[in-house]
Amino acid sequence: MILFEHVGKRYGGRFEALANIDFRVRRGEMVFLTGHSGAGKSSLLRLIMLLERPTRGRVLVAGHDIGRLHPSQVPFYRRQVGVVFQDHQLLFDRSIFHNVALPLEIRGFDPREAARRVRAALDKVGLLHREKALPIELSGGEQQRVGIARAVVNKPSLLLADEPTGNLDPQLSADIMALFEDFNRIGTTVMIASHDLALIARLRHRVLRLRDGRLVADEEAA
Amino acid sequence: MSRQPPAPPRGARTQRPRSSSRIRGWLRHHRAMCLDSARRLLRTPIGSLLTMLAIAIALVLPAALWLALDSARLLDAELDESATLTVYLERHVDEAQAGRIGEAVAAQEGVARTRPISAAEGMAEFQQALGLEDALERLEDNPLPASIVVVPLDPAPEAVRRLAGELEALSGVDEVRLDLAWLERLRHLAELGSRLALALAVLFGLGVLLVVGNTIRLAVESRRQEIEVVMLIGATHAFVRRPFLYSGAWYGLGGGLLACGLLGLGNQWLAAPVSALAASYGASFTLPRLGAEGSATLLLCSTLLGWLGAWIAVSRHLAEVRPR
Ligand SMILES: Nc1ncnc2c1ncn2[C@@H]1O[C@H](COP(=O)(O)OP(=O)(O)O)[C@@H](O)[C@H]1O
Ligand SMILES: [Mg+2]
Repeated sequence: MILFEHVGKRYGGRFEALANIDFRVRRGEMVFLTGHSGAGKSSLLRLIMLLERPTRGRVLVAGHDIGRLHPSQVPFYRRQVGVVFQDHQLLFDRSIFHNVALPLEIRGFDPREAARRVRAALDKVGLLHREKALPIELSGGEQQRVGIARAVVNKPSLLLADEPTGNLDPQLSADIMALFEDFNRIGTTVMIASHDLALIARLRHRVLRLRDGRLVADEEAA
Repeated sequence: MSRQPPAPPRGARTQRPRSSSRIRGWLRHHRAMCLDSARRLLRTPIGSLLTMLAIAIALVLPAALWLALDSARLLDAELDESATLTVYLERHVDEAQAGRIGEAVAAQEGVARTRPISAAEGMAEFQQALGLEDALERLEDNPLPASIVVVPLDPAPEAVRRLAGELEALSGVDEVRLDLAWLERLRHLAELGSRLALALAVLFGLGVLLVVGNTIRLAVESRRQEIEVVMLIGATHAFVRRPFLYSGAWYGLGGGLLACGLLGLGNQWLAAPVSALAASYGASFTLPRLGAEGSATLLLCSTLLGWLGAWIAVSRHLAEVRPR
């Protein structure tokens, strides 16, 4: 599903955020990406989202070299990748329902079909009863679950998450991770950046470990 | 490092809506954005009105000049009628000869109509025009020659001048008079005016672009986060642009309507003194109005300008947001 070939990323010409990264994630896998703060986790995910382009090597997703995509194709590529951001990236002037509906609105879904899917996604993350609320009225954990609902409402085959449990207490973090495991169980490829080592160790999935922009370990699922 | 197997069907489970429903979705978004942008404008009525007023003022000046030129063109068409030549016959020519010369002139190529004026008729007209009956009556001999007024087919100065040369060559013709200088001067003035109007229209059109562009730039700035989020989750540039294009079009349309209103007001304001002035010259003249067609053209232009201004503003922003 994801293939990195000798990928390097420099910011501003000198600073090397990622160097010579090689790995592959199979369809349906669940992978954690870990490492100290500044190790390059976000940079790596941003390469997959096409928010950055590698300065060396190439990134393939579902067999396609995404570096070759024409700028006009990028939106259509992004629609196939669900992304959960650490800071949620919710729109604060819209209800929870409309936040989750956004990806479907962008794709021009019929409103009735969209509403059905939005409710299904909200139900999955346990927030169906809050659909009319504004994001500001929700707790951090609830906001993160809205972000997850929005990422999966389009039923993407690849789900990326950057520190999805960054500011949450251990119980909420475990709940969120359990959600990702559910999506993985129905076939979604999931890649999660996190430095919550205790949680990752308990979940027994494959772990890619970064240090100073280099891939230093690739531990298969226990 | 293993090689990638043959490309699997990508995004196998992300169904793409069928094309007919895609078109319906596209139309739905257009309708939604059209209404949504109108609602946003109404939410800040004073600000929106000020922007529209700025657009209207930029539109009024070239539109008014254009109207003035239009009425000048009407005047010009009337003047073309009066682009006549006067053929003066030699003094010794008698009436019979004058009749033959008149026929020859009428038969000349490029002549539309002729009106012969005998020496006596010429005298009478002269006296009437100048009110000098007494003084001239005392003259023993009529000093005026017989003449023929010629209306040319083609009123263009070069054609008239050529015709004059040809008529002058006829025997019995003393002189051909044509007073084209003032006509040409008027034409030059009209040409100058229309160029000025065009230059002003371009300049003020740019002004409209700037006004709308700046307003839309601020709107884009205030919705920056929203734009970034929707682009992160796969919105196309067209999708992001759409609400702003509608806002720009609404601003343009509103400005155009205000401009039409201002022109109408100006017309009323000036109508009384203008017709009084014309009456004092014994003429009747009404100020030109925009009319249905003119109003439609103005509204179309202003709406398009608003749309274009928004397009430029949003596109500049999108160029910044593109990752890379
Ligand atoms: N846009 C950027 N411009 C310059 N340097 C950056 C940029 N983004 C990240 N970096 C640098 O790249 C390194 C890796 O950052 P990041 O990928 O965010 O790490 P992590 O997510 O693991 O904390 C850091 O040293 C960071 O300062
Ligand atoms: Mg990070």
